[in-house]
Amino acid sequence: MSATALLFTLALLGVFSYWLGRKRSFAVVDGQAWKLHSLPSYYGFYTAIWCGVPALLITGLWLFFEDLIITHLVVGQLPADVQSLSPSRLNLVVNDIRNMVSGNIVSVDVDPTMQAAADHYIQLQDISKAALTVLVLIMVIMGGLYALRSIRKDKQARNAVERVVKVFLIASSTIAIFTTVGIVFSVLFEAIRFFETVPITSFLFGLEWSPQMAIREDQVGSSGAFGAVPLFAGTMLISFIAMVVAVPIGLMSAIYLSEYANKKVRAVAKPLLEILAGIPTVVYGFFAALTVAPFIRDTIGSTGLDVSSESALAAGLVMGIMIIPFVSSLSDDVINAVPQAMRDGSEGLGATKSETIKKVIIPAALPGIVGGILLAVSRAIGETMIVVMAAGLSANLTANPLEAVTTVTVQIVTLLVGDQEFDSPKTLAAFALGLLLFVVTLILNIIALHVVRKYREQYE
Amino acid sequence: MTFQIDSGIDLAGQEVGAVNSADTVAKSDKVNRDDRKTVGEINHPDPRMTCRDVNVWYGDKHAIIDVNLDIGKNEVIAMIGPSGCGKSTFLRCLNRMNDTIDGCRVTGEMMMDGNNIYGKGMDVVLLRAQVGMVFQKPNPFPKSIFENVAYGPRIHGLAANKTDIEEIVVTSLQRAGLWDEVKDYLEEPGTGLSGGQQQRLCIARAIAVNPEVVLMDEPCSALDPIATAKIEELIDELREHYTIAIVTHSMQQAARVSQRTAYFHLGDLIEVGSTDQVFTNPKHQLTEDYITGRFG
Repeated sequence: MSATALLFTLALLGVFSYWLGRKRSFAVVDGQAWKLHSLPSYYGFYTAIWCGVPALLITGLWLFFEDLIITHLVVGQLPADVQSLSPSRLNLVVNDIRNMVSGNIVSVDVDPTMQAAADHYIQLQDISKAALTVLVLIMVIMGGLYALRSIRKDKQARNAVERVVKVFLIASSTIAIFTTVGIVFSVLFEAIRFFETVPITSFLFGLEWSPQMAIREDQVGSSGAFGAVPLFAGTMLISFIAMVVAVPIGLMSAIYLSEYANKKVRAVAKPLLEILAGIPTVVYGFFAALTVAPFIRDTIGSTGLDVSSESALAAGLVMGIMIIPFVSSLSDDVINAVPQAMRDGSEGLGATKSETIKKVIIPAALPGIVGGILLAVSRAIGETMIVVMAAGLSANLTANPLEAVTTVTVQIVTLLVGDQEFDSPKTLAAFALGLLLFVVTLILNIIALHVVRKYREQYE
Repeated sequence: MTFQIDSGIDLAGQEVGAVNSADTVAKSDKVNRDDRKTVGEINHPDPRMTCRDVNVWYGDKHAIIDVNLDIGKNEVIAMIGPSGCGKSTFLRCLNRMNDTIDGCRVTGEMMMDGNNIYGKGMDVVLLRAQVGMVFQKPNPFPKSIFENVAYGPRIHGLAANKTDIEEIVVTSLQRAGLWDEVKDYLEEPGTGLSGGQQQRLCIARAIAVNPEVVLMDEPCSALDPIATAKIEELIDELREHYTIAIVTHSMQQAARVSQRTAYFHLGDLIEVGSTDQVFTNPKHQLTEDYITGRFG
């Protein structure tokens, strides 16, 4: 049986055992279900768990180790001269055998020993599949029988099921955490490889970014400079412009929507505003590059200032528009969460609406508002598409928003696009940038969390 | 359905369910309006606020029907009645807190110092400075005790400098009977106080803007008996400086703190009179039924 068919059978057996367990629980108390310790469905789940979970675990382990064991057995059957090859050469041979098994084109001429090995491989695979099917079916039946036999009047099936549910939940959160940790470590190790060729100080404090490396010794003009400062300066500049646009507009529209707008306006305006968040960033990107950037060049350029056709200002403005909904939507929610009693209290004292908002509602909602702004900041820092299109690729170290700048994420993209060798400093630099970006965002989050917590202690 | 109060049939015995059921409100136009005329003396020799022909609608619901009532200077007037009778609605009209409710419409006259508070020229901000309010649930701002009391004077510009504001805060807290308990903790958050202290803080906050009338909407319903006793004592002391209108569900409380009592029933003002008279010798059958505990 193939793995899919096996899983399907398992599912069917699970449903069937649920039914059996439920029926059995009725039988042990002669249909008087109120005498049972748990609800009948818990006995069903209990039986199904005993049927399914051990069998699933076995299947998982089997599939994980199957290939390893079969390969080992096949290699053991190969002629001695092949076995004595270096591990990497041996790997190639094994690959060829696998290709022959799956019917792909192989890189060498097929000789009889190889053909024999491939046949052996197929044979072992068939045995393994049959063995797995039998084993799983035995597990299902044994588990099911054990569960059915243990069902008694006072069997605590609910507690057992709850325990299993808890383990499932723990496993799920563990997967999420381990994925994060895994990503951090893989980035970290690649970054360490990068710092073996480029000193960490020149990466952190270098003022020039030009990641082209010489491929040949005698190549000209491609020495490679990996100073991350211009990239972070560009990121900060664009994010700052974006926040200058998004925070006031977002906050004020949130205040209007939650405090002033009547229900009808709110019902229409809020979803419309949230549509902004649904527009693909690539659309914002060409909007920025084709509409906003030329507009800025023409209007500001006409005053005599020098404006490049790709500017930080254009990218920042459009990015600001994009993140308005993050600020407004979250702020709107927290402002709405401020109790009506606060508004009544303030207005009962003769405060006007705007005084109430300024002095009571905003302070009470501040932790949530800061949270919304923070989310918007991390969105702005991580944004790539708009910047690629509207702000250019040249790593200028400047605070002038009318010049072209580039950001960390854009450089990561350009470093990894196209054919790359994966051990050159140019490629590894992407991991170092990613790591640094991660650290910077983390620090920002921690700072903001502290600000919010301090504020909370003061007022609660 | 008609009420046959005059015929001597025991109303409570036969009609209790109907009187309390919600559909009676919708049908209230059909009841004999003559039975709902206010009995007792609505006038006060020295009125602070005068209400004439006040009607309030929430959308289509007629919540207050033709209410006439004077609120006298430096008196405590209690408004009692079963839930949904309109007593809180009436109270909230007195400083236009109903303005914030969607679909609420008020007609009639509510005069204060010769101005209709629902008139065109009325500045709600000034009105609310004159007519303060204390709510059912204590609602101190999430600020320090000092800032809670200083809030009102600050927005009305009552204090020229820091010394003035400190003086106002101290006086208000003293009048609210809270000073001795909080004088060393003025910078602590007001939300950290106990329920009764919070309510007295809200009273201090309300009197800090030096109002003439203080409206109290069931100020003790969220408090324990000891805190309630303190607030009642306080209300009695405050009468010296302020006019107080209090809505309460507790008839004992009304009897203890007020000089006059108004009984509301399904949007009608049924009876007004001195508290002694209303509780010992009610003139209207509905009032008697309510205060003797036959319904409500």
